[in-house]
Amino acid sequence: MKKLISLALALVLSLSLIACGAKQDDTPQTGADTPDTTQTAEKQKLIVGFDAEFPPFGFIAADGSYDGFDLAMAEELCSRLGWDFEAVPIVWDSKDAELAAGTINCIWNGFTYTGRENDYTWSDPYVDNSIVMVVKADSGISALADLAGKSVMAQAASSAVDAINANESLKSSLKEVVELADYNTGFMELKQGSVDAIAADLGVAKFQIASNEGDYVILDEPISTEQYAIGFLKGNTELRDAVNAELLKMAEDGTMLSIAEKYVDQGLVIDSLCLVK
Amino acid sequence: MNVLTMQDVRKSFGSLEVLKGISLTVGEGEAVSVIGPSGSGKSTLLRCATLLETMDGGLLAYGNDFAATMDAEGKSVYADKAALRRIKSRFGLVFQQFNLFPHYTVLKNVTDAPLTVQRRERGEVRELALSLLEKMGLADKADAYPCQLSGGQQQRVAIARALALRPDILFFDEPTSALDPELTGEVLKVIRDLAEEKMTMVIVTHEMAFARAVSDRVIFMDGGVIVEQGDPEQVLGDPAQERTRRFLRSYQT
Amino acid sequence: MTVSAMLTLLVQGFGKSLEIFTLTLLGSLPLGLLVMFGRRSRVAPLRWLVKLFISVMRGTPLMLQLMVVYYGPFLLFDFTPPGNWRFGAVIVGFVINYAAYFAEIYRAGYESIPVGQFEAAQVLGYTGAQSFGRILLPQMIRRVLPPVTNEVITLVKDTSLASVIGTVEMFTRAKQIVASPNTPGMLALAAAGLFYYVFNYIVAFAMERAERSLAYYQ
Repeated sequence: MKKLISLALALVLSLSLIACGAKQDDTPQTGADTPDTTQTAEKQKLIVGFDAEFPPFGFIAADGSYDGFDLAMAEELCSRLGWDFEAVPIVWDSKDAELAAGTINCIWNGFTYTGRENDYTWSDPYVDNSIVMVVKADSGISALADLAGKSVMAQAASSAVDAINANESLKSSLKEVVELADYNTGFMELKQGSVDAIAADLGVAKFQIASNEGDYVILDEPISTEQYAIGFLKGNTELRDAVNAELLKMAEDGTMLSIAEKYVDQGLVIDSLCLVK
Repeated sequence: MNVLTMQDVRKSFGSLEVLKGISLTVGEGEAVSVIGPSGSGKSTLLRCATLLETMDGGLLAYGNDFAATMDAEGKSVYADKAALRRIKSRFGLVFQQFNLFPHYTVLKNVTDAPLTVQRRERGEVRELALSLLEKMGLADKADAYPCQLSGGQQQRVAIARALALRPDILFFDEPTSALDPELTGEVLKVIRDLAEEKMTMVIVTHEMAFARAVSDRVIFMDGGVIVEQGDPEQVLGDPAQERTRRFLRSYQT
Repeated sequence: MTVSAMLTLLVQGFGKSLEIFTLTLLGSLPLGLLVMFGRRSRVAPLRWLVKLFISVMRGTPLMLQLMVVYYGPFLLFDFTPPGNWRFGAVIVGFVINYAAYFAEIYRAGYESIPVGQFEAAQVLGYTGAQSFGRILLPQMIRRVLPPVTNEVITLVKDTSLASVIGTVEMFTRAKQIVASPNTPGMLALAAAGLFYYVFNYIVAFAMERAERSLAYYQ
């Protein structure tokens, strides 16, 4: 009995030690042998990883189901292809690990393509979005230059952080970049004055402004422009090709637009849908 | 037939030799007191006899049951687990610190080992326990918990607990040393009653007057050896050895 | 989202938290005892191994441990554990982490029992198992109840860490509700806080009752 226990403990222990080491190099596994995604006799399943705190692309509805423009698109796409569909709310920081582990097989959730071109296998970009700066309406800040010495919040590990980092002169003028887990916390901080501005995707920014009318404004000058696409594990072109072909059809036949119109109230910007144009 | 036989018992703790070849036999119905200065090895002797310590060398037997025999070099060779468990039923030990089980009532303290260890019949054990408590003057305390009793009462429960296993021999390790002086009398009286009933006993004690009154034989130990033993009047009244005399003198002052 | 819809969602999330809480205790309380035995084993290599295990469990964040348990099988062995591993990993991670803490609490309780209790049981002829079950365990339980209560209360709050590997329990649910369109501000988080507090109040109350029921002796 004691030997069995010690063996089990040893196993768990060595596993955790090895895995701790393995986690250091954060690169997602490359190579095409990904679990779950290969088309076998079993029905193909699209497992979409998304951030459930990222409206209008992914959020929770009053009935407890997950809703959002991207999820609605994904679900429609699966039903057209006769695939099974599953939406998995993930922790955004863990998206690479989830993808590598095969617990999801795509990231479809306002996922920024720009700057990550080589990290994933991508669909065609379907949203052209920009990272913009939101400030309080009465702050007196009207241009990026006015942010010198100010605190700016951005979602941790998000493309907004990347955009600020890429803009050297902006970054060095700021007092600090506060990275928080989600934008709701960020807007609370903005409201109480502990940050002066929020760097966010245009869609997110419009949504927040719509639900707090008149309190906030978006600066005219974007920090960067960026595009959203569906990300797949690098090398998984088979799944990408199937999804992308159907995505283009949905843009072509008006399905994308009609789905998008349902999410305008939640801040989706129709003009940003670049495949529809 | 001797109840207890110990022969050439040796025990060291590290480089310190505590028992240097002690031989001791106790006959049936005999009450033996062991006296000596602290560090003389008398407690270790008791702990070896009750299997709390493992002897380095020497033989240990209860009646015909050998707990340990000697090999050619005199080293102790212990019997197997089952034999040792059987042998444990042949002796009882009363600790200086009582060591009652605090979460059990007085009655359960007395009945638990006979029921659990010896698997005796419940009614018989309960009856015996109650009569033992009665004899200890604790009939009304059967349902009390040890923490509700005085030290003297706790020690009497401990004696009842040891007797409930119906041992052939009872060891006492300084049974009154942890007690307030006014409480020692009640415990000593119980031991004296047992001596009168011819219970076989080995008593390590500092109570010289008591040893003289109840013992059939007194053993004086010092430096890990038995210096002198014999009739209590002789050993305590007119010792043959100078070391014994010196010890007794220091005791009287 | 209406307040009643919000509360319904929160209660669902609370159900998941409660599930994590219950399964963790069911697993870790007994496992802690085994770990304690390993920690006190006479077999030196086992003792060192268990000591290392405890040290790693206590010395690294539970959040990291959950990630290792969840992603480890996929990333290291390309192995997909069967069933709902997202939840399974939460339970495994919590159980081994809490078992390590419980083992040390048990050990402190066990070693604080006077040596005379062990010796009395030995002289009376109890076997090792008998003396542990009848004499030592009851006394140990009484000694460890207050620190165990502490851990149990911490566990209630720690359940929110399950969100790190995507298990949606009450705290994650509350954050999702706050983020969803047309919701009443931070109300969901405040409600979740109240849920945690009330539940912990009940836990503390129950443990206090348990302590009192064992206070009949000293």
